[in-house]
Amino acid sequence: MAKARDIGRRMRSVESTRKITRTMEMVATSKLRRAQLRVRQARPFAERVAAVVENLVTPELTDLEPLLRQPGRIRRAAVILVTSNRGLCGAFNVNLMRKARELLAELQASDVDAEFHVIGKKGISYFRFRNVAMASTRTDIGDDPSPDMARGLIDPLADRFVREELDAVYVVHAEFRSVMSTPPITRRLLPVYVPQERPTREPYYILDPSADEILARLLPLHLVSSMYRALVENVAAEQGARRTAMKSATDNADEFLTTLRRQFNRARQQEITSQLAEIIGGAEALKG
Amino acid sequence: MGDSTRKLKVAVISPTEVGFEGEGESVVVPAYDGLLGILYGHAPLMTLLGTGEVTVTDGETVHRIAVSGGFLQIVDNEVSVLARRVGECSSEGSGTKDAV
Repeated sequence: MAKARDIGRRMRSVESTRKITRTMEMVATSKLRRAQLRVRQARPFAERVAAVVENLVTPELTDLEPLLRQPGRIRRAAVILVTSNRGLCGAFNVNLMRKARELLAELQASDVDAEFHVIGKKGISYFRFRNVAMASTRTDIGDDPSPDMARGLIDPLADRFVREELDAVYVVHAEFRSVMSTPPITRRLLPVYVPQERPTREPYYILDPSADEILARLLPLHLVSSMYRALVENVAAEQGARRTAMKSATDNADEFLTTLRRQFNRARQQEITSQLAEIIGGAEALKG
Repeated sequence: MGDSTRKLKVAVISPTEVGFEGEGESVVVPAYDGLLGILYGHAPLMTLLGTGEVTVTDGETVHRIAVSGGFLQIVDNEVSVLARRVGECSSEGSGTKDAV
């Protein structure tokens, strides 16, 4: 039976861990709120731009506008994986990395030369450890991504797509569905999706300037806003995952503390009982 | 024609900010080739934005939002200004008609 004092020491240790996890939970909650606001802002913008692009794009235009190039066969592709800089967020990063590995394996299986760009310390150290070649790594995108950061990421890739050095660009990031649900998803940014069926363009828009000129200006904006949306969703998802992980850690600590407290009291009681027995035994001996 | 059912729904947004969201009787937008005035019942239109001020007039209230680059879509009396950037105007963001 453990000594009461040993159990007491463990209780103090669990208590201080609980304090840390509780604090992290609260920090994540407040960061989550800000991140959610940004998602709520970025999402409708990205969706509206995407809808307009889809509405304007026609198969005939794909020959005119280099960003709309539809490669017949994908030979070289770029995969951007967005992970977090910090851990302690449950399976968040692991899920993302698994998704990225699946995509890379899939591309390799279909004979595509894939280059791998990783954002976030967690992903970088994982793939460095596994000796996976990374074309570029970035750790400077923290809790507050900006459209300029997104532009910096996607523009060089888009340029290479135009120069026909790349045939596809994929982004793997976490989608923020809710605090509890942040599944990793893969989005294809390039080539731009072109509906084969001509959409019934209703209502009939006046286009000024012409569709291809609008697209030439709108496509870069579309790419940046999609990339920005990926970054922003990833931050919100990370904070959500961390909050959930830290909440369950705090709950576990509570449960553990209850058990320890029970053990502590029992051990203390036992000590007192045996001490009493000794005193009484000694007194009896003296009497005799 | 001044009843509230004949008002445009206006949204001026960028990826990071909502510049304006609400109603207006008339909207002036800096299109790529010059200013564009929009009233209720405008035909569906898509055009590119230049740099300048979006002016939303609703009765006596005038909202002015600085925009730069992006896109304008008008459909069903909804005016969506999807700007690369939005910001406050250096002059009063909203004021009376006289101040224009």
